[in-house]
Amino acid sequence: MQTAADGTFLRVNRTFCSWIGQPPEALVDRRRFQDLLTMGGRIFHQTHWAPLLQMQGSISEIKLELVHVDGHAIPMVLNVIQRQENGVVVHELAAFIARDRDKYERELIQSRKRLEDLVAESARLQAEAKDRALFAEQMIGIVSHDLRNPLSSIQMGAHLLVQSDPSPTQQRILTRVQRAADRANRLIADLLDFTQARLGKGLAVERVTINLHEVIRQTVEELADVYPARKLEHRCLGEGLCFADANRLAQAVGNLVSNAMVYGSPDKAVTVTSIVEASSLTIAVHNDGAPIPLHAQAGLFQPMTRGANATNAGRSVGLGLFIVSEIGKSHGGNAHVKSTAEHGTTFGLTLPRQ
Amino acid sequence: MTLQLRNNVRVSGSGSTTMVFAHGFGCDQNMWRLLAPAYAKRYRTILFDLVGSGDSDVTAYDVVKYSSLQGYASDVLEIVRAFGEGPVIFVGHSVSAMIGMLANLQDPGRFAAQIMIGPSPCYINDGDYVGGFTREDIESLLETLEGNYLGWSSNMAPAIMGAPDQPELGRELTNSFCRTDPEIAKQFARVTFLADTRAELPLLTVPTLIVQCNDDIIAPVAVGAYLHRQLPRSTLSIIDNVGHCPHLSAPGPVTTVLDSFLAKEGL
Repeated sequence: MQTAADGTFLRVNRTFCSWIGQPPEALVDRRRFQDLLTMGGRIFHQTHWAPLLQMQGSISEIKLELVHVDGHAIPMVLNVIQRQENGVVVHELAAFIARDRDKYERELIQSRKRLEDLVAESARLQAEAKDRALFAEQMIGIVSHDLRNPLSSIQMGAHLLVQSDPSPTQQRILTRVQRAADRANRLIADLLDFTQARLGKGLAVERVTINLHEVIRQTVEELADVYPARKLEHRCLGEGLCFADANRLAQAVGNLVSNAMVYGSPDKAVTVTSIVEASSLTIAVHNDGAPIPLHAQAGLFQPMTRGANATNAGRSVGLGLFIVSEIGKSHGGNAHVKSTAEHGTTFGLTLPRQ
Repeated sequence: MTLQLRNNVRVSGSGSTTMVFAHGFGCDQNMWRLLAPAYAKRYRTILFDLVGSGDSDVTAYDVVKYSSLQGYASDVLEIVRAFGEGPVIFVGHSVSAMIGMLANLQDPGRFAAQIMIGPSPCYINDGDYVGGFTREDIESLLETLEGNYLGWSSNMAPAIMGAPDQPELGRELTNSFCRTDPEIAKQFARVTFLADTRAELPLLTVPTLIVQCNDDIIAPVAVGAYLHRQLPRSTLSIIDNVGHCPHLSAPGPVTTVLDSFLAKEGL
């Protein structure tokens, strides 16, 4: 269709007339194009359409809503070009109904809004989950700490009773009480290490000059008493002197040997090897038996993970390997594992020698 | 990022007095290309784009800062202080006329005169005050802007189909003119059309020219008359023009009333 520069219709075709429900006589020389727009469209016409047309001479693909004579809005895509006819400025317009495009646009906008809402909700839930996890870990620290005192009383009491000449029955019972208290104590110590590693600056270690082989030999001797029915061996390679925390190394070996006893073949030996090289040391604990599946190996050193074939005797909260790994980190080293059907499972802790 | 890049500032011309041209809602400094060049012969002219429009730096758009016209007013003051020389005349179209007024009130000695083209201190009718629109009308505008999502994405500008009768219109216009990020356009529309600066009008004491079109739905004649009553030192000039952008559709008459006002004020 064609309009004058001020928008008055000069020519319209029947198709357009049928779309907006008005006959040509009602439009030509009588109405302006912008009168058929919604109020918003009319403002837009003044702020964007008119200046744009003035400056560019044409516009393509503007989407506006025109109002049908009975009031409902029809979305249309418009192209307009400004030209001169006999020295007079006229506008040529082409209009296409854009119902599908309109529907598509609305869907797009709605989808985007939904997506934005979901992302915001997801971020909020993530933040909440993080808060909860932090709180839980703090609780572990607090509770473990608070358990120490009552446990101390129990151990003290048992010790005093042992000193006060108990009967054989009583002695048997007291031995059980002391062993149980020791186990509880170890568990509390593990939980406190866990809390410190997660929430604090990592495990505390005190590194001094030690003879690694001597420390490991002693540790293995003590552990052999704990597992009288099993074979536990110690091998060593290289010079012994290094700079490390003997107690922490003993703790690591204890955790690794405990795992080896639980998950390894009961009729084969568990071997602890201490190796000292020029600038690093390694403590390796080996057991025979079914290998750890590859997919499980990735998360082994994460806290709260436990093996699939653990027996009741080896009950724990799944902190042993996490603590071994943290001990490694605190020394500037790391923990690692190799597990195959052929060669069994070897857990290792490799640390810098100095 | 420099001021010049942030607001796409272009300084031309020479003279002992500075004229600053501020475009309104909708497009950018290219709107002045039929009016400003003539003034570059006698004045130092400064053209710029509001942040979020034209070739301004979109990354500088701060939702909080630009949630009120004051944000734009402080940008104007920065530009005037950095690039202005001598007395400063502010020419503002549409909402920028009010931005100029707010900048003037923030720094009273800075401007020698205000020229308002198609201004309105409040677009929504309020009791006896005729702004020209109801609240629903403004909501309808915001809906229209929302509905043009695909046509006004920040990567596209309404394309030129070809203007064989006007070859002087350069290609450089196609991609900056009327291109605004749709989210920014929506917020700017909201800030512009919901603004109400009527209370500040009596405080503007510099000479002010109101250029009023006789058939403008956005800044109707009633609003021009209201402004003339409220501004203490104002001159009202009515121009024969249909539409809201006389500096584009009737640059000749606008130049005439502008020159007459400037001569009268000795600027």
